Amino acid sequence: MIESLQYLADGFAVAMTGQNLLYCLIGAIVGTLVGVLPGLGPIAGIALLIPATFGLNATSALIMLAGIYYGAMYGGSTTSILINVPGETASVITCIDGYQMAQQGRAGPALAIAAIGSFIAGTLAIFGLVLIAPPLAKAALAFGPPEFASLMIFAFVVLSNVTGKSLVEALMMAIVGLILGTIGMDPVTGNERFTFDSAYLLGGIEFVAVAIGVFGLGEILVNTAKPPAQLEQRVLVPHFRDLYPTLQDLKRSIGAILRGTGIGFFAGLIPGPAPVIATYAAYATEKRLSRHPEEFGRGAIEGVAGPESANNAATQSAFIPLFVIGIPFGPVPAILLGALLIHGVTPGPLLISDSPQLFWAVVASMYIGNFILLLLNLPFVPLFANILRVPKKILLPLIMLFCVTGMFSVNNSVLDIWMMLGFGVLGYVLRGWAYEGAPLLLGLVLGPKLEVAFRQSVMISHGDFGIFVERPVSLTLLLLTLVFLVFPLLKRAWQSLRPTRSDGTAPGGPQ
Amino acid sequence: MSAAISMFVFGAITAVLSLQLPLGALRMPGSGFFPFTLGLALMALAAGHGVRIYLARPKAAAAQAPASSTLPEGDGATRRVVLFVTGVIAAVVLLKPLGYTLASFLLMLALLQILGIRRWYISLAVALGSAATCHVVFVRLLQIPLPSGWIF
Repeated sequence: MIESLQYLADGFAVAMTGQNLLYCLIGAIVGTLVGVLPGLGPIAGIALLIPATFGLNATSALIMLAGIYYGAMYGGSTTSILINVPGETASVITCIDGYQMAQQGRAGPALAIAAIGSFIAGTLAIFGLVLIAPPLAKAALAFGPPEFASLMIFAFVVLSNVTGKSLVEALMMAIVGLILGTIGMDPVTGNERFTFDSAYLLGGIEFVAVAIGVFGLGEILVNTAKPPAQLEQRVLVPHFRDLYPTLQDLKRSIGAILRGTGIGFFAGLIPGPAPVIATYAAYATEKRLSRHPEEFGRGAIEGVAGPESANNAATQSAFIPLFVIGIPFGPVPAILLGALLIHGVTPGPLLISDSPQLFWAVVASMYIGNFILLLLNLPFVPLFANILRVPKKILLPLIMLFCVTGMFSVNNSVLDIWMMLGFGVLGYVLRGWAYEGAPLLLGLVLGPKLEVAFRQSVMISHGDFGIFVERPVSLTLLLLTLVFLVFPLLKRAWQSLRPTRSDGTAPGGPQ
Repeated sequence: MSAAISMFVFGAITAVLSLQLPLGALRMPGSGFFPFTLGLALMALAAGHGVRIYLARPKAAAAQAPASSTLPEGDGATRRVVLFVTGVIAAVVLLKPLGYTLASFLLMLALLQILGIRRWYISLAVALGSAATCHVVFVRLLQIPLPSGWIF
């Protein structure tokens, strides 16, 4: 503990250097923009900025990319509140009461509470990270290939269970991702696989192309499909002087902020799109605990404070599995893992002991980043809101141009642009089928790791699959996986036995 | 249904192609083992999913439920998307012969038209402005080796 604080102090020293402060600021600003702009989420946003980090050392690069992630969580609430359009899926819930508050002329307090809640949650969650990451990493040192293989299978099934409406559809997407991940060189023997004699495919599918394609271009195309009239929007930009919440607002919000922080922190530790789940759970909790539940949906400030705190806490704690075991539990940490690998950093149980400087500097930069974001979001929110006045008809082509340019700059390759375009069309088709892109991306990034862990395990055991159930940690993970696989089936069977409540009672999932 | 069929076909192609790679033995899985297993798993899931959709079909038809698509429909939606993608394809094809700056100007001009900017001077100004800004930022400042054409 004391040791951790000492390291953290050193981390601050690194994070406070002029260069790193600058990258933290750039990350926070870009993240806020990404959160505000339609068609550009944190996944595509981070992927686009990866080439810009090539000239930097790994620490500065991660400081900036992490800033984009949590910055987007701050920025996502702005559009939810002002125009009822969530900037991110994690801000869908904020639309409900946030937009109602804006309609009642209370956009300012809603925005302010979202920023304050995010700040408190972010700061507390980072503290949690400091406390539990080092001991967790020590425990994870005992993990061998069988444990890693079981953990990844567990992650896929849980992620598939919580993202989409259908477990089978999500699992299929994960498998498609895993298959795409096998293209290129076999990580164990070096054999070529599915390259069709193309030197381009030898290095595997460029995950940045998949990320920008499925998540960026796919979203742009969905917007393009909307009737032109829908692309116009009226924006009420609040004045600076209206921003401050009343004492009453703060009093009502503080409980919601703290509960949201707790919920979000634990959501980040389980596989899945943590920030999204956290917001739903926090909203439901606030509504249940409230003394005036009838206000929810009509502009209850707790309905903004709880979910916005939760998504920020989840964002920070989602870094724990990434740093400690090297396995991302959601699509955004998966992109960050890809970026780290490009910079020659392999996250895992040894990261904290081998590269303490990197780990603690990034953690320290998160404190600083949260502070910067509070400053950015409180006084400057009207400035960012003005971006919303630019018509989508102009924004969409611009974002498209950025995607093409950004994709090229990853490898200076036109082939990458074609790859991105192909995955963009795929992303559009997937939305048509209402399939999720997140399991696909996770499969693509984790595929090679899963294959290596699996093949090493059976090599160790000389072909005996018992190795996965003889080791207690691996067995526990597989049993948990089984529970997650069987539970939805049991639930469906139970529901079909009671046919009276078949339609219309299920709550809608995130868009 | 089209989704389940596509998934099944993709799984089948993967499995067949994997057979051309060494499968190895259980104690020493070869290059083809992992993708072959994945292909089979995808086929199994897709088949099960397809059958379930097929069995549930009469109910869905009666309820007139449009498949849970999240895409906007009607009003020339598909036409706009196809035009948009075609515009981008054209720009990428022209990227090397014309150079980045000119290609990005034409791309902006085309996409703005497709999305329905009616006044030509607005399109022209936005396209000129964004192509010039991108040229300055990406080519001059960040020095990304984007293809240069016969003008820039």
